[in-house]
Amino acid sequence: MVDAARHPNIDIRTYTEVERVEGFVGNFNVQLREKAKYVIADRCNGCGECAKVCPIEVPNYFEMNLAPRKAAYIPMSQSVPLIYNIDMDACIHCYKCVDACGKLDAIDFSMEDKLSWEEIGAIVVATGFGHFDPSVMSEYGYGKYPNVITAMEMERLNNSAGPMHGNLVRPSDHKNPKRLAFINCVGSRDKRYNAGCSNFCCMYSIKNAVLLKQMNPDVDISVYYMDIRTPSKGYEEFYDRAREMGVKFIQGRPGLIAEDPETHNLFINSEDVTLGKVVEHEYDMVMLNQAAVPQPDVDTMSSVLNIAQSPGGWFMEYHPKLRPSDSPTDGIFFAGACQGVKDIPSSVAQGSAAAARSGRILHADEWEIEPTVAYVWEDRCISAEGKKCGVCVRSCPYGAIDLQPGKAAQVITAKCHGCGGCVAECPSDAITQLHFTDAQILAQLHALLANKPEEKILAFRCHWCSYGGADLAGTSHFEYTANERGIRVMCSARMDTDFVYEAYRLGAGGVLYSGCHPQDCHYITGQLVGASRAEKLMRSFDKMGMTPGRFRIEWISAAEGDKYARTLNEMQTLLDSIPPEHLHEEIEKLRPTMAQRARRMRLLPEIEQAFEFTTKFDLAVIRKEGERESA
Amino acid sequence: MNPHNENTGNFTDIVRSMPGGEYLELCYSCGTCTSKCMVQQKLEPTYNPRRLLRKAIFNLEEEAYNDLTTWLCTQCDICYVACPQQIHISSILLAVRDLAIQASKISPINTARVNEQTCVACGLCVQVCPYDAIQLVDKKVPYRGLISVAQVDASHCMACGLCGAVCRSTSIALEEDYSDETLVNELWHWMNPKAEVTP
Repeated sequence: MVDAARHPNIDIRTYTEVERVEGFVGNFNVQLREKAKYVIADRCNGCGECAKVCPIEVPNYFEMNLAPRKAAYIPMSQSVPLIYNIDMDACIHCYKCVDACGKLDAIDFSMEDKLSWEEIGAIVVATGFGHFDPSVMSEYGYGKYPNVITAMEMERLNNSAGPMHGNLVRPSDHKNPKRLAFINCVGSRDKRYNAGCSNFCCMYSIKNAVLLKQMNPDVDISVYYMDIRTPSKGYEEFYDRAREMGVKFIQGRPGLIAEDPETHNLFINSEDVTLGKVVEHEYDMVMLNQAAVPQPDVDTMSSVLNIAQSPGGWFMEYHPKLRPSDSPTDGIFFAGACQGVKDIPSSVAQGSAAAARSGRILHADEWEIEPTVAYVWEDRCISAEGKKCGVCVRSCPYGAIDLQPGKAAQVITAKCHGCGGCVAECPSDAITQLHFTDAQILAQLHALLANKPEEKILAFRCHWCSYGGADLAGTSHFEYTANERGIRVMCSARMDTDFVYEAYRLGAGGVLYSGCHPQDCHYITGQLVGASRAEKLMRSFDKMGMTPGRFRIEWISAAEGDKYARTLNEMQTLLDSIPPEHLHEEIEKLRPTMAQRARRMRLLPEIEQAFEFTTKFDLAVIRKEGERESA
Repeated sequence: MNPHNENTGNFTDIVRSMPGGEYLELCYSCGTCTSKCMVQQKLEPTYNPRRLLRKAIFNLEEEAYNDLTTWLCTQCDICYVACPQQIHISSILLAVRDLAIQASKISPINTARVNEQTCVACGLCVQVCPYDAIQLVDKKVPYRGLISVAQVDASHCMACGLCGAVCRSTSIALEEDYSDETLVNELWHWMNPKAEVTP
């Protein structure tokens, strides 16, 4: 920490909040609120005289409120930078600190919050996690029974720099406990509170058990667990060590903690699952390993950064496997538990990764993005006429569309990743995607269905998954029907209803609507946009009386070549089973409906404009400096 | 295989298809339900809903039917609010109980009995029964002809005794240990601890 503070290129801003974030990769504008410390940083030398004379004591949150601090304080003695701070909520304005500070004259009671705008190239979010408050679980009596403590309180109690100088005592009578119980999964793996696993609690309960056993081998320690999870290197060996030291592990989630009101001893009632019967044991002290939860202000942060949250409230990464430290917005990275609970080694690894990835941006003069971005035809956007729409904004997984009332929607090119969801969703066909324009896709569609369309199966495949699946089916020599004709788009979100209607209008025998599995989508929620559209299509085809199976929705990953081949073969078998005259009749019967529904085809003359726009916008490269200067 | 449901798959599938059973396999055996259960604490130490869920998952049909857990659940749902997986355990237990009844198993509980000679079919017991186990039915009763009387569904009665407490004609009661006579005797002994004979 001290090294970081001394580094010429590192500027630590403590007690400062991010108010607004504007701009895009390499060109962020960030508004910071530096809260008033009432101590002038340049003058304070960290001597602590102000704290010595301060008459006010309030609980110290760093010590989990187990020890006091003054109103003039630093949270811990290793604080960096070593600058005192006056807590105005507690201060009684006696000004003793001003006298104690004397010649340094570092204390300024007239200080106010400072707002400033900073130019930032890349942002690393490392906001960490919060703690679940176990007092809401009445069965464990936290807050009611003095000797039920949380793991964080235990950390402070047995820390040699903590309030008890490492001498672990019971809060009720300050005696050393002889029988201790740790309860895992308090509030985690529990659908009533937090469904997820908190990742590191198993390890820190084992760590605390080993630590306490080392200090005093006579102490009796039991760990109540549902499953012990020791997945990383050396963890299982550590677990073995705890067992060798005599720590008892009891499989079973306690249903109730009761207290003896005189001795304040605690009785834990649980089923010992391995024993198959309910057991009750008496303990002097119980530690609850509470769940790790997102920071309480995660929603504010998420809207300031315009980054979505995964289920559970953690920040959503670009891709769970391939880009775990990138946010969906280029130039914003994650480090540590704010993206999902992780232990120290993983947090350090992700932090280093985030630093390296930000370094790439800071060292680049130009930044390449995918060229397949979306563009709005302003004269067609109905928002420009003052009508309320916003369909594109809702379909965008990246928050890349800026919609101001009375103005046409704007795509922030640097934020757009090119899934095409807004393009297909736009009810006025006012958005187009470069390299995947309506004209281009329709041209492919017309060419593929030019001859004997009733024999053809048109397959829309997304670039990342089902196109890969089709590729794998080919390279693995899986035999599938020769009547398949494929159109590649970036994401299933781009597969417009109009394309499907147009295919059927032209008389296609079958249409396959394929994309990634929902959890694998490379455009976060792109697949969901595509899937809900496909399901609507399926329902409307059912109503029209189309033979079931002629329109098919399949989610096929890049590893599922066999599934791709099988799906198409099944569709071919279905087509073969329909007598040709019946199929012909059905196609003719549905053709007028299809023609009526394919809105884009009614705008056919304007399709030509798409070609114009693709040549006009050469937006693939953004000059890092250029845009700002011209603005 | 359950002889009465041969066409609908095995025991596990049937339990899973019943209301509440869809979450059957979510159980990760933490044991909270068992440690919370009042039946387990006050009545039957071997009572174990967690184990019954395991039996249902692993298709151990006969073992599930012979398990006391199948029959003793009072559906108080203390376990439901404590279950971290939010499994509605009592409805699974009830589903297993229904299957057991279909397979002609008989509840080991001594249920309430109606004295049809004195029942006046006032319907009070029907109103209070928490398990909907009592119905008024028309039937031929010896010496009284075709009349309306209360009838206890043995498979649903949990022997709580509420019906006996509200019955104005003392026509419905639990048998043996909890009959009116036994209770009155016990009460008399409690009020007159030194008395040696029963009045």
